[in-house]
Amino acid sequence: MKITNAREEILHSIRTNLAASVVFDVNYTTDHAAQNEQPVPALKPNPESLVELFAESLEAVDGHCVVVEGHAETVEAIKKIIAGLRSTKLNPRRVAVSDSLEIKDLIESISSAVEEVEMTPIAADLFSFDVGISSVQAGIAETGTLVLEADRERNRLVSLVPPVHIAILDASKIFNTLGETLAALYRDGKVSQAITFISGPSRTADIELTLAIGVHGPQELFVIIRR
Amino acid sequence: MNHLTSETFDDNARAALDDVQLRGALRNATSLFGKRRLAAAAGLQNWEELRNRARSIKDDVLLHLDQYLEQFVANAESRGAKFHWARDASEANAIICKLIQDRGGRKIVKSKSMTTEETHLNVALEAAGMQVVETDLGEYIIQLAEETPSHIIVPAIHKTKRQISELFTSELGIPPTDDVDKLTATARATLRDRFAEADVGISGVNFGIAETGTILIVENEGNIRLTTSLPRTHIAVMGIEKVLPRFADVDVFLKLLPRSGTGQRLTTYQSFITGVKQNAADEGPDELHVVILDNGRSRMLAHPITRQSLACIRCGACLNACPVYQQIGGHAYGSVYPGPIGAVITPQLVGLKKTAQLPYASSLCGACREVCPVKIDIPQLLLHLRSEITEASVNKRRSEQFAFKLWARVMTSNWLYRMSGEVGRLFQRFVVHNGKIGKLEKAGILAPPLAAWTSGRDLRPIEKKTFRERWHSELKRHD
Repeated sequence: MKITNAREEILHSIRTNLAASVVFDVNYTTDHAAQNEQPVPALKPNPESLVELFAESLEAVDGHCVVVEGHAETVEAIKKIIAGLRSTKLNPRRVAVSDSLEIKDLIESISSAVEEVEMTPIAADLFSFDVGISSVQAGIAETGTLVLEADRERNRLVSLVPPVHIAILDASKIFNTLGETLAALYRDGKVSQAITFISGPSRTADIELTLAIGVHGPQELFVIIRR
Repeated sequence: MNHLTSETFDDNARAALDDVQLRGALRNATSLFGKRRLAAAAGLQNWEELRNRARSIKDDVLLHLDQYLEQFVANAESRGAKFHWARDASEANAIICKLIQDRGGRKIVKSKSMTTEETHLNVALEAAGMQVVETDLGEYIIQLAEETPSHIIVPAIHKTKRQISELFTSELGIPPTDDVDKLTATARATLRDRFAEADVGISGVNFGIAETGTILIVENEGNIRLTTSLPRTHIAVMGIEKVLPRFADVDVFLKLLPRSGTGQRLTTYQSFITGVKQNAADEGPDELHVVILDNGRSRMLAHPITRQSLACIRCGACLNACPVYQQIGGHAYGSVYPGPIGAVITPQLVGLKKTAQLPYASSLCGACREVCPVKIDIPQLLLHLRSEITEASVNKRRSEQFAFKLWARVMTSNWLYRMSGEVGRLFQRFVVHNGKIGKLEKAGILAPPLAAWTSGRDLRPIEKKTFRERWHSELKRHD
């Protein structure tokens, strides 16, 4: 049989080679497929406070964290962050925001603090924005990780392109472990088209192993945890 | 551009040993990553259990690779991804060039991918008249310098910041600086323009999840997010072995990969991409094309020892742990994959003929096996490949077989063994100087292997009395 289709030929080669291996496999291999279904038991007990653990983990990877309650405190926190950046070379003028309901509620209150606020600018324009503000869909306490789901919110680019990202995280959406988070992201046999995990600002150590923050993604990451 | 080949490994290694700057950089990098890996692994009490599970998942995948691949492809296709299968490197490159040409594209941003290094994709793209720019900082530096990566995780580990500053001065026109932040900011600013104008983004794939049709890519810099989010077309290149069965399996591998590679609990970014967006107004590319590459991988499935090479998750831990890599770095291996894992994968990918020295680039100390997050028995693989090399060379086999037969005869016979000691003691006075056996230049004429043994080290002479003789005389003295 002559096979010209690359797909069929590769699959055929996989099957033939696996078949040739059977005589040797008896001495080496055990099939663990069934056992792999069981979750690896998590050793971490539930911490007293997921918010505290999240903040601790985030700060360990150079992110900043502030805990607030309600709308007014959220607005204050954002204004304070922006005011704090005024004296730095990041001096923010233009703010890009995502399109979640929570963020839409904030636009009016923030616009007095900066020159311009725009919702989900197109990618080509985003490069001239100084700050991106979005909500996020979940947090992972053990690693200080933000979880963004594209099906829920257009937050993929505002969290990436501007040099500063301010994220608003609902305290009730913080999971303890990575495993719990993955289980929650997998719904009805499906996952969101794009899921992004973010743990701290962009970093590299490619030049003489010296840590440099903010190489391609944001160089400042602020997380406002809202109770 | 002066690229080394695997055929001249021994000479490459000798040259690298004379490079003082390289050895200093390697010492810093490998010891730092080694320490960080240890600390990160110690932070998880169930590290061993995770390694066992990871290997067990990979074994399951490889034993049923055809099924998992088909499941992965079907699920990703149902979400809008397009698939292309490539039997070898040139087929993969041709597919990618055609995809780009059909879309009228010319400007390409690329994120780090060992698989596209393996196919030498950039050469093919440039030959087709396209502009391709590497966006990982280390890869970008190497591309500007027209060199190749020397480490899987830190591609430009062999370059100092002064060299990088000189490079940026001549290529990008910045004033010389030894400030790493300034160098990084320069790369950021230059590459932002490339991202903004790119027609196509090309990335690698760390894991393909069969259950959901998701590709997962991990990174620290954000260039992978930009590459896979901004251009209208995203092309992802993956080896056939990158599949995982379940979405939940990601838990195990995201615990092992960053900790083994850089000692991080998690790298800064993970991008999980499942097909393409459903609404034109949504963010991200319009098209996702996944190129699945065999290029010699399916051959490795034919034996359980070689098959384990396909469990590798490209963390780089074995490079950092290897006493050979620590001294000579990645370039000496003359191949895309360096270090212990390179010494076993390269010969299997390109054939033993051109790489026969690589399986001997090891002292078989087993440090690589100790650190491997998926428990690949690299020393076992090295021995397997060495025996293949020996089997293949008939002449060498005859003299070697004779020598080992003789050795076995002497070692299994009481009187021959004692005799050999007596004879050795009698004749060693011709070669012992100042209480040691040094360079045996004269012996080189008579018996080359003996001279090779002492060309780099001294040998202790045989003791005047054997252990048995001393045992008996000491016993008598105490009686």
